[in-house]
Amino acid sequence: MKKRVVAAVLTAMLAGSLCVGCGQVKERVNEDGESVITVWSPTDEPAIEEWWTEKIDAFNQAHKGRIHLQREAIVRADSYAYEDKINAAITSNDLPDILFVDGPTVSVYAANEITLPLDDLFTEAEWDDFLDSSKQQNTYDGKIYAVGATESSVALFYNADMLEEAGIRIPQSKEEAWTWTEFYEAAKKLTKDGVVGTNIIMDKGEGLPYVLEQFWISNGTDLVSEDGSQADGYINSPEGVEAAEFLNSLIQGGYANIDPIQKEFHNERAATMLGGSWEVATLENDYPDLNWGITYFPVAENGILSSPTGDWAASVTKNTQDMEAAKEVLRFLFSEENVTTYAKAISKPPTRKSSYDVLTEYNEYPRSMIKEQLMETGHPRPRTPSYSVLSAEFSEAMLNIFTGVDAKEALDAAAAATDKDYNKYYAQE
Amino acid sequence: MQVSVDKKSERKAAYLFIIPAVVLLAAFLLYPALQTVRYAFTDYNIMRPDRIKFCGFNNFIELFQDKDFWIAVKNTLHFTILVVPFQTVLALALALLISSRRKGVSIFRAAYFSPQVTSMVVVAILWTVLYNSNPNSGLLNALLVNLGMEPCGFLNDPKSAMNSIVFMSAWQGAGYQMMIFLAGLQGIPKDQYEAASIDGAGKIKSFLYVTLPGLKNVISYVIMITVIQAMKLFTQPYVMTKGGPQNATRTLVYYVYEQGFQKRNFGYACAVAAVFFVIVISLSVGMKKIIKA
Repeated sequence: MKKRVVAAVLTAMLAGSLCVGCGQVKERVNEDGESVITVWSPTDEPAIEEWWTEKIDAFNQAHKGRIHLQREAIVRADSYAYEDKINAAITSNDLPDILFVDGPTVSVYAANEITLPLDDLFTEAEWDDFLDSSKQQNTYDGKIYAVGATESSVALFYNADMLEEAGIRIPQSKEEAWTWTEFYEAAKKLTKDGVVGTNIIMDKGEGLPYVLEQFWISNGTDLVSEDGSQADGYINSPEGVEAAEFLNSLIQGGYANIDPIQKEFHNERAATMLGGSWEVATLENDYPDLNWGITYFPVAENGILSSPTGDWAASVTKNTQDMEAAKEVLRFLFSEENVTTYAKAISKPPTRKSSYDVLTEYNEYPRSMIKEQLMETGHPRPRTPSYSVLSAEFSEAMLNIFTGVDAKEALDAAAAATDKDYNKYYAQE
Repeated sequence: MQVSVDKKSERKAAYLFIIPAVVLLAAFLLYPALQTVRYAFTDYNIMRPDRIKFCGFNNFIELFQDKDFWIAVKNTLHFTILVVPFQTVLALALALLISSRRKGVSIFRAAYFSPQVTSMVVVAILWTVLYNSNPNSGLLNALLVNLGMEPCGFLNDPKSAMNSIVFMSAWQGAGYQMMIFLAGLQGIPKDQYEAASIDGAGKIKSFLYVTLPGLKNVISYVIMITVIQAMKLFTQPYVMTKGGPQNATRTLVYYVYEQGFQKRNFGYACAVAAVFFVIVISLSVGMKKIIKA
């Protein structure tokens, strides 16, 4: 008898716990009758985490009784861990109301109707205050699907002492930017005594297309066609192959590491680096003794001046049950004041032109150069619904080229895989 | 009569007792497994759960023509064939070292077991640093260069990448099998060794004729679980190599992840998973038969 009771209790407990596990419904309206809006964004450095806490409190104070804002910070780790989490949520219909996504994936989610258009989020006059590069990245099929607070750029960081010792010219204006040949010669000259000439991002993930796509653009091609429907003939075009071979010559010559140590440039183990705009703050704050400078992104011989742009942006997902409340949250988060404070906290250039009136540091070197690149030479990453495949295939192709595969062959494979995905899921639409 | 009533009620109690386990297994193993098989016959794109269409055997036809799939099969077998003997012998050697009652043996036991209690992700990141191909930053390459040898590409060289993963996996995993061997060694009666030594057997002979036969069941169990674990290789390529370079470390499970989550071909990934399931099951059944024979 006793046994039976124990068994019954155990079963009931287990069954109960199962129900809790599976049947959990996301809280949409809390006990105070407030509409609950959940935001997912990647875990960030302490200054940003503080910004979030402060702003969420302020928002909830101001909207007491109507909207309750909450945020789940999700570890991005490296490469594609955050995207994996989103994919899982798509399958279980468990997306948050507001989802932060990386710039180039805006089109992926938009094309798959995961996120919703936001054209009426701001008035036209207000949208005019946002940088074109940011709006371009966040537009798919003529509609705006996301809004971002910050932008990014990549510049050539250099160790001033090492360049001076080697007697290497430093470009003072964008017309004087290093050509690929100059970049190569400089890297070669600077490689000695355990120091490599340059550091090209080798994260085996999104960093590769982010930084390296510019070599394709500068050489007169791109990774995919303008409308995002075709990779063949672009990523693997003769100009593209030339770009890949140029990058490979840096690796094969030993002038850049395929396996760089963390902060190779910061620790004076690389003389130059193609580094993100956020590195300016890191170098200023954490490496005060390093004598460094930044200059323009290298350009192909007779090529186009080009530099990366793009940053994370917020979208509203199809799982939201209160679009108006979600928009109200976005209007708050991307107000002039909040864009400014966010950009300041994260040390990235803001997306709102008016913020530059407040953040006067962008009028002075080195940040003025970041701003100049952003406004004049910035190119967002391709807007294609197949971007996730393109990104992974491009990273893999570059890694294969750096370990000995023929550049044309590797890029052909990347083109074929990207086009296959596009034709399978998006071509007929 | 009384006896049979008791038996009946006992049987009822027994069923009640297994219900929790059955419910859990059904919910978290059986149901997802059946769903996987179902999705394997669809064109499920993970972004479009609202647009799943039945597509017959298309996924399987594509799969058998897919070069990358066969490379993944080859890599998985490559890993399994190398890691199983290596790890088993290593574990047995460690167990033999530790089973002797020398001073300080417990320190070694803890040391050999410690990689096992460390998360594989942590171990993989550490070994990525050790394996760094640049002699200025990679510890192992620094050692090689100091010994006057050429630095090795390790994870960056398609020829050595999988073997590098084999080595670190055996190092990480051997501690667990060592514990099982240790238990097995303690189960061999002392008098057998005494009898062997009276008959004039030395250390090697008593190992060959007493220890090994005494461990026969343990060895077959260890080989079995190591094979199954090895077939499931995922964390190391995910953390260390992303399946590269040049496909050298793309395993079946990694391929399932890559197709399903990165490229969002969920239906196709399910087809790969289904085939993988068949491979593992037939391997286990085959091995069981061989061991019994």
